[in-house]
Amino acid sequence: MTRSPAAQLVRTVVISAIVLWSLAPIGIGVATSLSTQADVQEIPAHWLPHHATLDAYRSLLGGTGDSRAGGTVSESGAFAHAMWNSASITLMSTLAILCVAISAGYAFARLRFPGRGALFWAIVATIVVPVFTVVIALFGLMADAHLIDRKLGLVLVFVSTTTPLAMWLVCNYVKGLPAEPEEAALIDGCTRWQAFWHVVLPQMRSGIAALSAIVVLSVWGEFLIPLLLTSTSASKPVTVLIPEYVGKYTTNYPLLAAAGVLALLPPAVVALVLNRHIRGMLSGSS
Amino acid sequence: MDRPEATRGGIVLEGVGKEFLGGVVAVRDLSLAVEPGEFVVLVGPSGCGKSTTLRIVAGLEAVTVGEVRIAGRVVTGLPPRHRNVAMVFQNYALYAHMTVRANIGFGLKMVGTPKRETRARVDQAADILGITNLLDRKPRQLSGGQRQRVAMGRAIVREPAAFLMDEPLSNLDAKLRVEMRAEITNVHRRIGAPTLYVTHDQTEAMTMGDRVAILRDGALEQIGTPLELYERPVNIFVAGFIGSPAMNLLPAKLDSSGDAWHASIGGFRLLIPPKARAALRPFAGREVLLGLRPEDFVSTDDVRDGKHGIIEATVQRAESLGSELLVYLSINDAAASRPLTVRLDRRTAMREGTPARIGVDLQRLYFFDSHSGAAIR
Repeated sequence: MTRSPAAQLVRTVVISAIVLWSLAPIGIGVATSLSTQADVQEIPAHWLPHHATLDAYRSLLGGTGDSRAGGTVSESGAFAHAMWNSASITLMSTLAILCVAISAGYAFARLRFPGRGALFWAIVATIVVPVFTVVIALFGLMADAHLIDRKLGLVLVFVSTTTPLAMWLVCNYVKGLPAEPEEAALIDGCTRWQAFWHVVLPQMRSGIAALSAIVVLSVWGEFLIPLLLTSTSASKPVTVLIPEYVGKYTTNYPLLAAAGVLALLPPAVVALVLNRHIRGMLSGSS
Repeated sequence: MDRPEATRGGIVLEGVGKEFLGGVVAVRDLSLAVEPGEFVVLVGPSGCGKSTTLRIVAGLEAVTVGEVRIAGRVVTGLPPRHRNVAMVFQNYALYAHMTVRANIGFGLKMVGTPKRETRARVDQAADILGITNLLDRKPRQLSGGQRQRVAMGRAIVREPAAFLMDEPLSNLDAKLRVEMRAEITNVHRRIGAPTLYVTHDQTEAMTMGDRVAILRDGALEQIGTPLELYERPVNIFVAGFIGSPAMNLLPAKLDSSGDAWHASIGGFRLLIPPKARAALRPFAGREVLLGLRPEDFVSTDDVRDGKHGIIEATVQRAESLGSELLVYLSINDAAASRPLTVRLDRRTAMREGTPARIGVDLQRLYFFDSHSGAAIR
């Protein structure tokens, strides 16, 4: 398709503006993380650090922190622990959500059973309930179940809040797949479960990759629920830890920024890796 | 391949009915038997229930009423895996993530066939279908015809008690379709399992089927050999469905004055041969539908007295197919609104817009009740 030069220019400007809008905060964060506290507080402010340093990262990752970055041993331990919490909670939640969403979504798409439509919409309708409207009840429930400040509690909440959307996506995805390979498998001697395992799941590979990316990104970035349900480093994820670097009288900006950049890396890697899988989508069977 | 024991019995449907949720009736009181080794084609317009019937035999749809037997065993309530059938789908339904070898061997693997035996049987099936060189490829690397062969391989390797095919050729181009038609027939002869084949293409039905079953609105209209359906259609639906171009159906009045009986169509009269008169007696003096097959006409030069009746008409259009000439005629003064389709020798000279006199073979007239559409014979 050929475009007029004017249209091309408008397009370039608009896309550049969107990219700049999205990347600028990350760029500023990276620049700040490479600065010293003194650099950051200099007036007039400047975009790039005068003396680039990795001190903030060293402090967080347990290396030899420099006093200018203000890192301490306890910070490095807390940060690493919070990253571990985030990673393990995300991994467990994602696995559980995928298991439930894939099997439920498939069942709603392919099996016929009484009450299917009503049940499906009852589950999907929970997507529209904002979490903050149920936080008090949720806190009470989790307290009664002794799940406050435990990773399992967070995983359970994430599974119940994210599964409906994931299930809905799976259901629509399965409906778009041809039913014949599955039927061929049934005729070839498979039980429904075997056909699902040997034929449907491999057909869904690209969909599952895309879904995993969505779930990982959404769980990793959760803030409100962990803020509510965690109080110590036993279960506190990195999203809740980072704001704690904002002090009452002074804030260590390089440290704060470095923590943000590090917390950004795992989801970025997941998005990059799975994006490749999504684009390498399986061609259809027909 | 040896003929498997399971092919001793055929496929039997007895009083089968299928009503979907919402009250749509797909199949009505269908009784049908495919004998061992027989190739039966289910044919009919889209929505006539032929695919549903096949899926009922496969176990992919449950019957609402009736019984299905395969190889002498009642399978009505059994899941597909316990029916020992193989099915070829219209869109091939290959397993996209598996190689051709894995696709063909999948059914054997699922029933726990030893690996060595699976390998040997896959090789044998691939050899029969000429796809040995494709065994390590994935389905997406194959052409339509090759995928079709893989689907066939997957079906024959299991030596099923029954073969089911759901419009397996409709995604192929015309030339390949003719090739695969012959190939499927050959494979069937070699394997010998009773086969139920669904198509909407009457050429496929007529060329491949030992017998052809014609379905309309979920009910069986007629079943018989291709020749029986062509020569003795039970009603105007079958008469119009079998034969290409379709049979001409014209309203005609039966004129039974004296010894000579005639069918009057507008301005001309066709002498009815004596052998047809007995069945027509109740319709004397009334209107019936006269059926004339396009291929039962001859040009004026070939008309022989006594054998042919004469029809006068105007040539609307003439289409040369190379091997023959299709002529569309509007009958002078006739009540018939549709043109008369006539198939003549390719050398016949016909000019559009000019009057024509053509002969029709009087021994090959078909008569139908104009109310019920049933054949009068």
